[in-house]
Amino acid sequence: MVMDIFERSQAARTSILNKLKQQVEGADYSKLPAEKGFCYPQLPVADMLENFVEHLQANHAQVISVSAENVYQVAINQLRERGIEKLLCGKGSVLAEPLQATLDSAPEQTLKLSIYDSHLADCKQEMFYDMPASISSSRWLIAETGTLVLWPSASEPRTLSLIPPVHIVVAYASTLHANFATLIHNNQWQAQMPTNVLLISGPSKTADIQQTLAFGAHGPKELIVLLVNDLI
Amino acid sequence: MTVKIQEPEQSESKYAETARAFRQNVKKDLANAELRENFHGAMNYLMAKRAASFPSDDELETLRNQCKLIKQRALLKLPYLLEKLESNLQANGIHVHWAETITDANEIIAQVITSKNGKHIVKGKSMVSEETALNDYLHARDMEILESDMGEYIVQLAHEHPSHIIMPAIHQNKKQVADLFDKHIDGFDYTTDVDALIGEGRRILRDKFCHADVGITGVNFAVAETGTLCLVENEGNGQMSSAVPNVHIALTGIEKVVELLEDVPPLLSLLTRSATGQAITTYFNMITKPRQSDEKDGPEEVHLVLLDNGRSQAFADEELRQTLQCIRCGACMNHCPVYTRIGGHAYGTVYPGPIGKIISPHMLGLEATKDLPTASSLCGACGEVCPVKIPIPKILQRLRTESVKVHSGSPDELKGAGSNRKPMEATIWKIWSFIHKHQGMYRFSMWVATRLRGLLPSKLGVWTQVRSAPQLAPKTLHERIQARQPRG
Amino acid sequence: MTELNSQHLRHYPNKPKQVYLYGTCLADVLFPDSGIDAIEFLEQQGIDVIFPQGQTCCGQPAYNSGYQQQAKSVALQQIAQFPLDIPIVIISGSCGGMMRHHYPELLKGEPGIEAFCERIFEFTEFLVHVLKIKLTDNGEPEKVAMHTSCAARREMGVHITGASLINQLDNVELVIHKQEKECCGFGGTFAVKHGDISAAMVADKSASLVDADVVRFVSADWGCLMNINGALEYQKQPLRGEHIASYLLARTAGKKAGETDNDS
Repeated sequence: MVMDIFERSQAARTSILNKLKQQVEGADYSKLPAEKGFCYPQLPVADMLENFVEHLQANHAQVISVSAENVYQVAINQLRERGIEKLLCGKGSVLAEPLQATLDSAPEQTLKLSIYDSHLADCKQEMFYDMPASISSSRWLIAETGTLVLWPSASEPRTLSLIPPVHIVVAYASTLHANFATLIHNNQWQAQMPTNVLLISGPSKTADIQQTLAFGAHGPKELIVLLVNDLI
Repeated sequence: MTVKIQEPEQSESKYAETARAFRQNVKKDLANAELRENFHGAMNYLMAKRAASFPSDDELETLRNQCKLIKQRALLKLPYLLEKLESNLQANGIHVHWAETITDANEIIAQVITSKNGKHIVKGKSMVSEETALNDYLHARDMEILESDMGEYIVQLAHEHPSHIIMPAIHQNKKQVADLFDKHIDGFDYTTDVDALIGEGRRILRDKFCHADVGITGVNFAVAETGTLCLVENEGNGQMSSAVPNVHIALTGIEKVVELLEDVPPLLSLLTRSATGQAITTYFNMITKPRQSDEKDGPEEVHLVLLDNGRSQAFADEELRQTLQCIRCGACMNHCPVYTRIGGHAYGTVYPGPIGKIISPHMLGLEATKDLPTASSLCGACGEVCPVKIPIPKILQRLRTESVKVHSGSPDELKGAGSNRKPMEATIWKIWSFIHKHQGMYRFSMWVATRLRGLLPSKLGVWTQVRSAPQLAPKTLHERIQARQPRG
Repeated sequence: MTELNSQHLRHYPNKPKQVYLYGTCLADVLFPDSGIDAIEFLEQQGIDVIFPQGQTCCGQPAYNSGYQQQAKSVALQQIAQFPLDIPIVIISGSCGGMMRHHYPELLKGEPGIEAFCERIFEFTEFLVHVLKIKLTDNGEPEKVAMHTSCAARREMGVHITGASLINQLDNVELVIHKQEKECCGFGGTFAVKHGDISAAMVADKSASLVDADVVRFVSADWGCLMNINGALEYQKQPLRGEHIASYLLARTAGKKAGETDNDS
């Protein structure tokens, strides 16, 4: 019998599902035991924020407290300190306009804002070899693990946070959640999963050689978090 | 474009042969002092990291119970969740393929690559692709496939396979990695500095990511409810493999499906803490769709290959089904006194350590793996740390029973059942049982044994290679008590 | 499924007048002194000890080797020897684990099996939780280590009760040795079937006990003791392990530890 592999995939599907169903068909789900989660103590927001920062720092991210007004200037300063003259920002990102305005207001700045406005396939060389830094926003924050939740979109593509060696994230304290479970639950992610969600908790790292931690394995070597405390 | 082919030859996994060589592998690797030192150091490190990440026993135990139940619920609904996963993935624009055997899985992947004219393939870390020996398969078809996880990259350079499921190159120290780079990488400036070694890997692999047309990854959790594939990683190579090339192929076992998105957070928390003691990994990547028309990056096509390869055999028995609760954290190997001493390669299987001993018999059959279930002192360390409470020692004991039972030829029997049954051994246990269930016979035998204590040889096979022989007492406890306390 | 370390979940009876002693096959032919010592110790606590002469072996060796039927028939024979509804005290954590945690499954459906398993107490567990014993140390100051067998630790919680007894001895300092939790490599037939691996394990265990710089070590399991003592003797190390029943009897009775009342 000759069957192409994709037809065979259908046959495999039937065979696998039949084998499994034979075992569990008609199982009474009402008999499943109750699943009890751990009740984590509820912390005041200030403590949660402190935990968030501590965890991120423990994972070698640089966290800088900024005001809503100076966030862009601080970003520019950070890059200047590193001698970086080019910063990638998403097209239509909420950060693009104010960043450009900040740059324009100080003509002595040497930093150039580059806009992610073409398909990755068309700018791969530049992305991999000539893009020293990027900036993106985070949608939510998780206190328990010191995590930034990125919700990549057409205006902030996912590779923005992945390819350039220095990644700056603008984070708002008001988006902080106690943990991943409450974040998903409170915002009903089930109903709105986008193409891709990314949880980032530090710069790229590896301990694959003799359990020795090294940063910048494949992703950013540095993660700079500009934390705006908009709760006060 | 598809190529018409004959039914595939059911070639045995290459790991069947290496698993059969378990005893020889053990002898060789136990004698390698450097290897033992590498494993000893690494396991102590990982055990300490895990312990520190669970400061509260109460939290740990609650989470373990919760996650065990989450996985058991998913398994009880498995076929229906797989159907739901498939329909949600398809609705999201992701292609779903099914494979019963490793050859089929490899062939599906090769066909997808060919249909997209793919030539340069990068692979994130995937133990299932080790299971199918995908690299060999694609190499044989002139496709370049490069491992991109640092540990996997090292292992690929060395023409080895991973010795640990989380830290593939744990058997090598930095000097050995430096020597390997020196041998294989042109213009490598010799150093044993880990930062510099990783920097070298980064340089080479970035170039590959930039030019790859297909990326292959595994999956940590596949969420049926939303049709979402989750990837857990620290390096960013999983993202590089799934976001940069034009095609992303994810390969996973059918047991990785979970029912709800809300099932993910407790599993993730236990996975990373059990594995490396991290509260969370650097990246947690949730993929639900291929690139949408307004998006600038991400793959145009996403494929998921669901592999059985013996899992449905484990599923068919309620006790053995618990094997499929595994979330591949590696904690059982980190805490295993046998794994620590013999290392990951000695097992000869893709999955080493305690979990390897209970999953491999379903993949390779009990004949090829007959030495694995017995290679345990049943100390229980694995069961104690397992985040989803798989009773590994109990399952080992069960597999021992399966491998020494009389082969019945029934279709429900495990593949290779009865293949470790030795007539002599079976007879000895029958005699043993006869003596021990007849008290008079037992007391007489022990009386004789103790009277003949002088005849007990001082050499007792392997026991006395490192130990002195035990001395039988002049009189048994039974006798002494009878003399002391006549009522009995 | 076995719930590990079940001590804290267990309901303990009041101090009984009578108990059974389960001596174990290993102690029977190799180390009967510890059985006699355990009986003497319990008698000193005012307990009448019955040793049924029909007991043989708990069945664990066959059970762990995959010979279920053979294990089962031997296990049934054991149960029949202990008809009275009184505690059964076992001087081995590993045999105790077998009878308390593995019998329910092995002997599923046998009448009264749950009640039988409820009567199983490991020796140190019995002293701590049932007798709520208070020990008086009459021995000289010394340092000892303790090795707990894996089944004793994970199924019976002996690392807790054993240590709590040693810690009651005022003149004894309990030293925790390196990799204290790790298996000694015995594992019954494992030591023979995979002798190379077992040898590597006992080499490390004996080395860490020697490194602990103690005069002796104690254990509640003869399997491990036979393994580790055999290795130490082979290595010509003076250090030896002793059963905790003998050790406690010696310390509390003012007899010198290590001294045994040989064949009397």
